[in-house]
This record gives sequence, C-alpha cells and structure tokens, in this order.
Amino acid sequence: MKFEAKGLAKSFAGPPIFRDVSLSAESGLVAVTGRNGSGKSTLLKIFAGLMRPSRGSVDIWSDGRRLAEGERGDAIGWASPELEFIDELTAAENLSLLSRAAGRPKTSGAIAGLLDAFGLARAAHDRRVGEFSSGMKQRVRLAFSLLLEPPVLLWDEPYSNLDQQGIDAARALMNGRRETGVVILATNDRRDIEDADDEVSLS
Amino acid sequence: MKSPFPSRAFAVFLRDARRELRRRTTLAAVLFFAAAALILISFSLASVALPAGDRAKLNAGVLWILLFFSASSGLPRSFVREEESGTALALRKTAAGEAVLVGKFLFNFLLFLAIAAVAVPLFCLLQSWTPANPWSLAIVLLLSGFGVSFVSTFLSAIVSRAGQKDILFVLTALPLLMPLLLPAVEATAHAAADPAFAAIDPVWKVLLSYDGLATVGGLVLMRFVWEG
Repeated sequence: MKFEAKGLAKSFAGPPIFRDVSLSAESGLVAVTGRNGSGKSTLLKIFAGLMRPSRGSVDIWSDGRRLAEGERGDAIGWASPELEFIDELTAAENLSLLSRAAGRPKTSGAIAGLLDAFGLARAAHDRRVGEFSSGMKQRVRLAFSLLLEPPVLLWDEPYSNLDQQGIDAARALMNGRRETGVVILATNDRRDIEDADDEVSLS
Repeated sequence: MKSPFPSRAFAVFLRDARRELRRRTTLAAVLFFAAAALILISFSLASVALPAGDRAKLNAGVLWILLFFSASSGLPRSFVREEESGTALALRKTAAGEAVLVGKFLFNFLLFLAIAAVAVPLFCLLQSWTPANPWSLAIVLLLSGFGVSFVSTFLSAIVSRAGQKDILFVLTALPLLMPLLLPAVEATAHAAADPAFAAIDPVWKVLLSYDGLATVGGLVLMRFVWEG
C-alpha cells in the first residue's frame, strides 16, 4: 500500500495558502508542520478527500492498482478538532451508525473494543456525547479515525485536550500503526514528531 | 464488500430519527407551527359563506399553504443542522452522498406524513369539511408529500454550506416546488369534491412524474453537491 500526493496547491479566493506539496509514503510517521494558518488542517482535509485541491492529486495504491474514489475514502482515517458527533447519541451509537452508513457495519463488541483502547469503555455506552468533556470527545475522534481499519491515518492535533493517559494510549496506537501503514500527523508541538520518518513543512 | 445501499441509507435515517426522538425539537416546532396556523385559519374562515364547489377549492388551497409552510419550518434543517453542529464532517467522511440523501429524505417524508396525519383531520374537523373521497385525498397527499420532502431535502443539502441559508432555501424552493404544488392543490380540490377515483386523473400522474424526475435528478446530482 502506498499513499501518494502530487503537486498539491490550495487557494481560497486569493493567493494559494500552499503550493507544490508532494508526499509519497508506504509506512511510517509523516509530520505536517507549519505556523498557524499555514494550511496544515486544510492539507489533511485534502488528503482525506473532504476538500478538493486547487491543483494536484491524492492517490492510494494497493497491489499496483490505484484505488477508486470510494475505496480511497475507506482506506483513510481522519481525526480533527473540527470533527463533531451527535450530542444526543452515545459514542458507541455514533460510531455504530457511521460504520453502517459507510457500508461496513461493526459489531457492538468491535466498537466497544475500539473505544476501550482510548479508555472510553463505560462512558461510551452510558453517557451521551453531549455530556462528554473536551478530552473525552477527542478520544472519540481518534477512535472514529480507526473505525474502518484504514491503512492510512490522518491525525490533526491528536493530543489536544488529552490527559497523559489519553496521550499514552494514542501514542501507543500510533506507534503500532506506523509499522504497518502510514500515519500523517499535523501538529505545532515538535515533541510529538521527534522521531518522524518524513516531514512536510508548510511555510 | 460493502453492505447494500438500502441498509446504508437506513443507517442515516436511524441517525436522524434517534436524534429527533431524544430531542424532539423539529417535530415540536413544525407541529406548533401547524397548530398555530390551523387555529388562525379556522377563525378567519369560519364566517365565510361560499358555494360547496368554491369551498372545496378554497379549502384545498388553504390546506396546502398550511402543509407546505409547516413542513418548510422543519424540512430544510436536515443538512443545515449537520453543517452547523459540525457533525456533517463525520458523515461526509464515511457515507456516500446518495445514501445520505435517501436516508435524510426518509426522515423528512415521515415528518411530512406526521404533520399531515395531525393537520389534515384537524383541518377537516375545524372547517366542517368532509372530503368526498378520503382515499383519493390520501393518494394526493402521499405523492405530493414525497415530492415536497425529496426536493426540500436536496435543496437543504445545496444551501447547507452557503451563507444566508434560510432565504436561499425559500428562493430556490419556490420555483422548484411550484410545478408540484399547483397540481397538488387542484387534485386535493377534486378529491374533496368528487367521490370517484377518476377525479384525480390525470393529475396524480403529473405528481408521480414529478416525484420520479426529482428523485432521479437529485440522486444523479447529489454526488457533486456532497463532495463540494
């Protein structure tokens, strides 16, 4: 499996916020860095297929075959502070219905296991997301990114609002995933990406 | 291997339905609007004396004003609420636009039917109006409600990421729904005045054609609306 982005540029009714961004990775941790407003979150949204680039392309190759658009969406997991869930549903209900809407329904056991990995086992079934703290919501976002077991993970500021236990859980998962797939992490904190295998720096 | 399209669309419907069942804001808002309009209409028309034929036409028009504006207070919220609350991103990341459209349409159609189920009998009672053929009237309401719900859901998807959503919805909905609402009013008047099923022929075919064209058009275009 290979993640490939070529010549990406994005502008919003003005000069491009970034241009000529290219990246190719088969596994490992890729850091996306840059000052505030440099387009890190926008770049990750383009990688995730949630936004169209002004120029360039994003592809995923598997066994020498370029994945079609629908397959590509499932192959990429994304978590961002912008991501929200329905307040009136529990975390487990949110993830279960989203997996069913994606056409890849997960059993309640699989979803419980996923949320448990982020320390949300009990709260995920007992409490609605609207009652969650900001740190708990961040854990649900990270769990959501892993919902369809994607080989490519895009994490935008993944440790924001997390306590040390949450950070440790997220780091452990990330370290496991980077061995077998690609983890692309956008952050302002250099400590999070000290051991990155590659870096995309946006100025 | 992905699960079939209907189960994906049904998951989107369940998501909306569960939210509504726990919050009940949309249902309460549209029913309150319908009740308020119904009371105003009843008082203002109570003393109007008209021949039976004219009364059927007037009642049909007023009934559709009541249904359309009550539905309009709730139907456009389906996609707008997702965008405003930030939950659209999770849906956009996981679900195909067509499944989202159909799932949200199902919810809106049920909402329309719930409004009709409450408003139409009450309207008939307060206006002392007995439709000559209730089954014809039900067919007209089903066919028209389908079209109003589908087009409103699709337009909600279009305007949800724009500024000035409410006014944009009204401005786009009016010309698109007029070809449905005018025959709907006509067919309602016929169903109310004539006990024969033939009374709503061929208008019901117009309504059915509108529903078919709107559904095909919406499903074809939804991909572009959803992906932005």
